Amino acid sequence: MNHELLKAAAESNQWLAIFPELLLGSLALLLLALEIILPKKQHTTIPAVAIIGQIGVLLYQLLHFNSVFVGHDTFAGLLHHSANGQFMRAFFLLASILVCVLGTIALAKQKMPRIEFFHIVIVVSAAMMLLAQSNNFILLFVALETVTVGFYILVSYFRTSPLSLEAGLKYLIMGALSSGLLLFGIVLLYGVAGNSTLPGSSADAMNFNALHTFLAANSHNFLAAVGIVLVLSGVAFKIGAVPFQIWIPDVYQGAPTPVTAFLAVASKAAGFSLLLILTQSVFTPYEYLTTPVLGLMAAATILFGNLAALTQHNVKRLIGLSGVSHAGYLLIGVVAAASQPLAIGAIGFYLFAYLLASFAVFGVMTHVAGADDADQELEHYADLAKTHPFLGAVLAIGLGSLAGIPPLAGFMGKLLIFIAAFKAGLHGLLLVAIVGVVISIYYYFGWIKAAFFETWRAPLLEGETDPRPVRTPVGVAAGVTLATVALATVVLGFYQGAFGDWLLSLKF
Amino acid sequence: MIVGLNHYLVLSAVLFAIGFFGVLLRKNTLVIYMCLELMLVASTVALVAFSRYNNTMDGHVFVFFILTVAAAEVAVGLAIIVALFRRRQTIQVEELNALKN
Repeated sequence: MNHELLKAAAESNQWLAIFPELLLGSLALLLLALEIILPKKQHTTIPAVAIIGQIGVLLYQLLHFNSVFVGHDTFAGLLHHSANGQFMRAFFLLASILVCVLGTIALAKQKMPRIEFFHIVIVVSAAMMLLAQSNNFILLFVALETVTVGFYILVSYFRTSPLSLEAGLKYLIMGALSSGLLLFGIVLLYGVAGNSTLPGSSADAMNFNALHTFLAANSHNFLAAVGIVLVLSGVAFKIGAVPFQIWIPDVYQGAPTPVTAFLAVASKAAGFSLLLILTQSVFTPYEYLTTPVLGLMAAATILFGNLAALTQHNVKRLIGLSGVSHAGYLLIGVVAAASQPLAIGAIGFYLFAYLLASFAVFGVMTHVAGADDADQELEHYADLAKTHPFLGAVLAIGLGSLAGIPPLAGFMGKLLIFIAAFKAGLHGLLLVAIVGVVISIYYYFGWIKAAFFETWRAPLLEGETDPRPVRTPVGVAAGVTLATVALATVVLGFYQGAFGDWLLSLKF
Repeated sequence: MIVGLNHYLVLSAVLFAIGFFGVLLRKNTLVIYMCLELMLVASTVALVAFSRYNNTMDGHVFVFFILTVAAAEVAVGLAIIVALFRRRQTIQVEELNALKN
C-alpha cells in the first residue's frame, strides 16, 4: 500500500478533528457499561477509571495541540478549529478532571448513585469542547443545550435534599428562559441574513462566516441588531453578568459543591469563549452596539458582585457572588479585545488562574462541608488552620489569588486584563474595576481571618451539639490534587515565561 | 387576504411575549414550564416562516433539533418538579424560598 496515500487519507479524515470529544463520549458510555458488568464490590474503581481516562484524553489533546486542523473549518463549516479553541478544549478537560476528583470526595459523604455523576460531567465537558469551536448557530445551540440540560441534572443531583432540588428548579427556569432568548435571537439573525433582497445575503445564514459577510454589508439593520442583543443576553445568562445574575447565589448554594465549582469555572469559561467568538469574528460590524452594551454590563457586574458578596455568611453564596465580579473583570477584557488583540491572551491567562484558584478553594470547601452540602457557613472555618494546616494554606493561597494579591497567579491575570484595558483607553471601566478589587479584599480576607485567627468560641451548653461538621483527614489523591493546584497558583504568579508568551499569542 | 411573512412574524412575536411574561409573572411552576415551552415554539414558528420565505432548508432542519432539545428539557424538568413536590408538597414559586441568606 502507498504510505503517502494512507497518510493523506488519514489527514483528511475529519473525525480526527473531534477525536478528543469522541473519546470522551465513549468513556462516558464505558462507565455506564462498567456499572452493569462489574460486581458491586468493585464499583469503587469506576471513578478512578473516569479520572484516569480523562487524563489520557487530556494528554492526547496536549500532544496533538498543533494538529493539521488548526485554522481550518471542518464538517462543512460547522466547526472552526483555532489555537484559542484548542486551549479551551484542554481547559475544559482539566476542569472536568478536577470536578471528578472533588466529586469522589463529596459523594463519599452522601448515599447517592455515583456513576451517573461522572457520566454527566464527562458528557457536559465534551459538549463544552465542541461549543468552544462552533462556527454555526445550529451546532452552537445544540452544544449549549447539551451543557445546560446536563447542568440541570447535576445541580439537582443530591435529590434527597430539597435545597439541591430547589436550586435545580431555579436553574432550570432561568436556563430555559435564557435559551429561549438566545434562540429567538438566532432565528432573527437567520431570517434577515437569508433574505435575498438584502445585499450580502446567504443561503447558509446559520454559518458564522456567511453571517459576518451579511452583517458587514448591512451594519445598521434593526432586526439584526435586535437579534444580536438577544443572543448576547442569552450568553450573558450563562456567565452571570448583571442584569442576568439573579440565579447565581441560590443555584450556587443549593448545588453540590463540585457542581458549583464546575458551574463557576467551566460554565463561565464556556460562556466567555462563546462571547469571544461572537464579538471577535461575527458581530464585529456591530461594535458600535456591542461595545457600549458589554461595557455597561461589565461595570454593573463588578460593582454588584462585590457589594452583594460583602454581606454573605454562607461561603457558597459568597464565592458565587464574587464569581459574578470575576465575570465583570473578564467582560472588561472582552470589551478591550475589540481594539487590543493582547486582551484575548489576557482572558485566557485570567481564566486559567481563576481555574487554579477556584479549585483550590472549592477543594477545601468540599472537605470542610458536612452531610448537608448547602449549609456551609464562615463559622465552620474557625480553627481550620490549626487542625488542618495544609487545608488552611491551600485556602489562603486560593483566596489570595482570587483577590489578586501579588505574587499569586490571580494578580498577574488581573494585571494583564487591566493593561489591555488601559491600552484600549477604557479608563472609566478600569477605575470601576480597581474599586471592585479593593472591595473584594475585604470579604476574601474575612474568610481567611475566619480560618486563621478566630480560635475562640463559646463553650457548648448542655444538650447543644457543635454545629460545625466533623473534619476528616485529607485523602492522598485529594491532597496531591490540592497541593498541585495551589503550587501552580504560586509558580504561575512568579514565573509566566514561555507559558504566558504562548497564551498571549493565541489567535482565532 | 394573503397570509405573508409578516403575519407569521407577528404571531411568533406575540407567542414569544406571552411565554416570556408568563415566566416572569406566573406563580405555578407547571404553568411557568408551559410558558418556557411556548417561547421555544414561538421561535420555531418564525424559523419555519423565514425558512420558507428565504427558500433555504436550514430552518426546517433546525426545527427538529429544537424540538429534540425541548423534549430533553421537559424530561429533566418534570423529573425535578416531581422530585421537589415529593419533598416539599408544593410547586408554588413563592413557597420555594428555602435558599436564602
